[in-house]
Amino acid sequence: MKTATIGNALGLILVALGLIMLAPVAVALLAREFSAIPPFVVAAAVSAGVGTLLRWRGGFSSDFDNLRRGEGMLIVCLAWVVTGAIGAIPYLFFGLHPIDAYFESISGFTTTGATILKDFGPYPKAFFFWRSLSQWLGGMGIIVLFVAVLPQFAVAGRQMFFAEAPGPTEEKVTPRITQTAKALWTIYSLLTLLEVGLLCLAGMPLFDAVCNSLSTLAAGGFSPHPQSIMGYQSSTITWIVTLFMFLAGGNFALQYRVLFQRNYRAILYNEELRLYAFIVVTVALLLCLTLMRTGAVHLTEGLRDGFFQVASIITTTGFSSTDFALWAVPAQTILFTAMLVGGCAGSAGGGVKVVRVLFGLKYLKREIAQVVHPKAVLPIKIDRVTVPEEVQRQILGFLLFYIFLMTLSALVVTIIESDAAIGLVGTAATLGNIGPGYGSIGPMASFADLHPLTKLIFIGNMVVGRLELIPFIAMLHPDFWTFRRA
Amino acid sequence: MNILIYGATETGYMVASQLCQKHNITVIDDSDRLPDKFNNLDISFVAGSGADVLVLEAANVASAELFIACSPVDESNIVACWTAKKIKDVETICFVHRMELYRNLGAGTQNRYQTRYDIDTIIWPEQLLTQDIFRIVSVPDAIDVEYFVRGKAKMFEYRIKENSIIRGLRIMDCSFPDNVLIVGITRKHNLFIPNGSTTIETDDKVVFMGTGPALDLLAASFFRNVNQIRTAAVIGGGSVGYMLAQQLEEAEIRVKLIEHDRKRCVFLADNLKGSLILHGDGTDLELLEGESIGECDVTVCVTNNDEKNLLCSLLVKQLGCQRIITRVGNLRNSMLFERVGIDVVVSPRDSAMRELLNRLQAKDVNILALVEGGQGEVLRLNLPESFATVLVRDFVLPARAIIGLIKRGRNVIFPHGDTPLEAGDQLIVFTMAGDAEAIKKAFTR
Repeated sequence: MKTATIGNALGLILVALGLIMLAPVAVALLAREFSAIPPFVVAAAVSAGVGTLLRWRGGFSSDFDNLRRGEGMLIVCLAWVVTGAIGAIPYLFFGLHPIDAYFESISGFTTTGATILKDFGPYPKAFFFWRSLSQWLGGMGIIVLFVAVLPQFAVAGRQMFFAEAPGPTEEKVTPRITQTAKALWTIYSLLTLLEVGLLCLAGMPLFDAVCNSLSTLAAGGFSPHPQSIMGYQSSTITWIVTLFMFLAGGNFALQYRVLFQRNYRAILYNEELRLYAFIVVTVALLLCLTLMRTGAVHLTEGLRDGFFQVASIITTTGFSSTDFALWAVPAQTILFTAMLVGGCAGSAGGGVKVVRVLFGLKYLKREIAQVVHPKAVLPIKIDRVTVPEEVQRQILGFLLFYIFLMTLSALVVTIIESDAAIGLVGTAATLGNIGPGYGSIGPMASFADLHPLTKLIFIGNMVVGRLELIPFIAMLHPDFWTFRRA
Repeated sequence: MNILIYGATETGYMVASQLCQKHNITVIDDSDRLPDKFNNLDISFVAGSGADVLVLEAANVASAELFIACSPVDESNIVACWTAKKIKDVETICFVHRMELYRNLGAGTQNRYQTRYDIDTIIWPEQLLTQDIFRIVSVPDAIDVEYFVRGKAKMFEYRIKENSIIRGLRIMDCSFPDNVLIVGITRKHNLFIPNGSTTIETDDKVVFMGTGPALDLLAASFFRNVNQIRTAAVIGGGSVGYMLAQQLEEAEIRVKLIEHDRKRCVFLADNLKGSLILHGDGTDLELLEGESIGECDVTVCVTNNDEKNLLCSLLVKQLGCQRIITRVGNLRNSMLFERVGIDVVVSPRDSAMRELLNRLQAKDVNILALVEGGQGEVLRLNLPESFATVLVRDFVLPARAIIGLIKRGRNVIFPHGDTPLEAGDQLIVFTMAGDAEAIKKAFTR
């Protein structure tokens, strides 16, 4: 691996990030919170400074055309870890402990939405804007953004694009990767604007509408309101957010095909989308039933909270329209199963991804059939196309590794915290980039009181979960770590 | 008529031997001399490639009226047809053996695109065979099935079994439904046209013609009535097996397909929607038993190897399968196949030949079907405008023939003695192949 290339690419990304970090400054100016300006200026300066330094060490080369697979993965991983660190700088100025600041920042970029904030009072608007913006940037993928924007990554983009979003299928809506990245960001931005508009119409203040929209489309879950969406006390707003969460958890490439390429049949024939919709509807109805049986809620309320909470959890957003940590155990259990699924491939959501669950189910079905017909040749087909052998292996490996990591993390955290609920649900919530869990880390509570070690483990979970494990699996092999200078 | 045939293949031989008595045939082939069996045919030969314009000129394509390309190489056939067409607007018939080429050239896609291919008729024997097999499969218990007049009339062939209730009866004593006629009986491989006093015997193959509903009634009352075909086993996953499985799937029949080549299995599994693809040999008794092939409603053996098909069929028959359809490549083997008890023997060459003859006949005469390897023919005849109206019973024929049905305008009439024949009628006539010419003359004079 060439250290120079990696440094160069990373430097380029950091310089660009420095520019983006000036956006909260503008918000601070508009809100006349002048004391909130310095933290972001400093962070932007650090980012640009470190970036330029790395570029200088790498000789300011802009030639990434011969990027290798391993290099691409390392760049992507480093980019996430380092942008997380840079994004944490402003939080330090508001009196957060460094680990807490890093937790909050990583939770933002990875669109998890787990917060360590207990009291939302003392912070300026720019602070909340930055939390939501970091989620929005991370939602579509930082790398995807820079591939779209920076011409230097025109060729190398493919390696990095798929290292960041290693879905089971390589999906390109256009032949060229920069155009694909642009297309994805276009649809992402358009949907965000649309949601801002609708939320304003529904009576939400503009600032809150912007922040919530940024978080919704990213399937993030940071809200400027301490009580999340519940705090706005409006059914209309709840339903609007539900809809956009559902879209954020769907495949953006598919949405692009439908909206811009007018390929309507794509929706009908997409098995992943059908399963996704099926899960959302059935689990929502189940939840509604359970809620109506156990709590004294009406049908409309039950439906609203059922749909909202399922959409929020399955898309790994983590908003709450009600404090589901207070729900009865059956309802919580139903919601927990949704936690293990996650959004569609190519969406802003994290988790296992619906397509992998779909594959897993089909794999089980095939194994059953194979017992009865030992000599049968049974392909696994998704969208009427056979899943190639190597992709099958990769998905199975992913599922195994996911379970392994989840068990390990759950056990360790349970030992540290002496609380199995935090261990299991917290792991599922961070590895799946969902955000709030149950009990003391529920939607109205915070992760602040956890042991620092737990926070570090959760930070690891969030990054690994966001990058869908595969770049990390590669890093476990010693041959990955062979460097050379030039 | 001057006919050029490119390709001294089995198909070429069959075409040449069928046509050489009435037409002038020239065979073009890449080899230096014709295979020995062509020597007993009265034909001329030009050595060279059919795709070579000089060779085509030497074969005097300019005076030909029909060009048949049936060499083993599909692309050569296509180029040969194009070249012939460039020299003269001769009617071209092209044989292909691959699906993608058939799709390109087939009538369905041709008209969609800018320019048409210069090929008048494209024949893919295996596709025609698939159609034939599918038709037979779709009618329970029948051993041959043909449709006429867009399905308004049908021809079914049944084998009379030991337990049949019409065994040993004279035809006039059987109370068949209206609109059903027995047009022919094959006894010990000889086809003849029966009359009312003919007795039906065990192992006769009886050809019925009639309307669809009437034949269904016949099947229900006289033959073991398998209500519906639900499961089918296909042994051999070549083009025929693949296309057949596709058609069976569309008819909602559950298909088990056995194929011995692993790669082909994967291809089939990828491209078929619901069929169960089994990787194994069709002669592997354990596999056949394990997958209970014997319990399938019908088994179709369509590997490209006659010996294997024979063995598979016998094994499956031993396992208890009631209906077996077997493909045979070499027509001479078909008689043997039937002798050892296989009900339905089909051949791609047979199917291709029928299609070819259909194209060849003059416009007012068509051969709709061949029965018992060409011994009998089903002809379509148009009565000329000058035809004087006459009752069926008064019409004197030079040889035995049965008027199966009359199509008058949009109506389909099943004739009896009192039915009049009028000018402009279209008749479907069953007759022996040897008498076909005389019958045609009698109706069209």
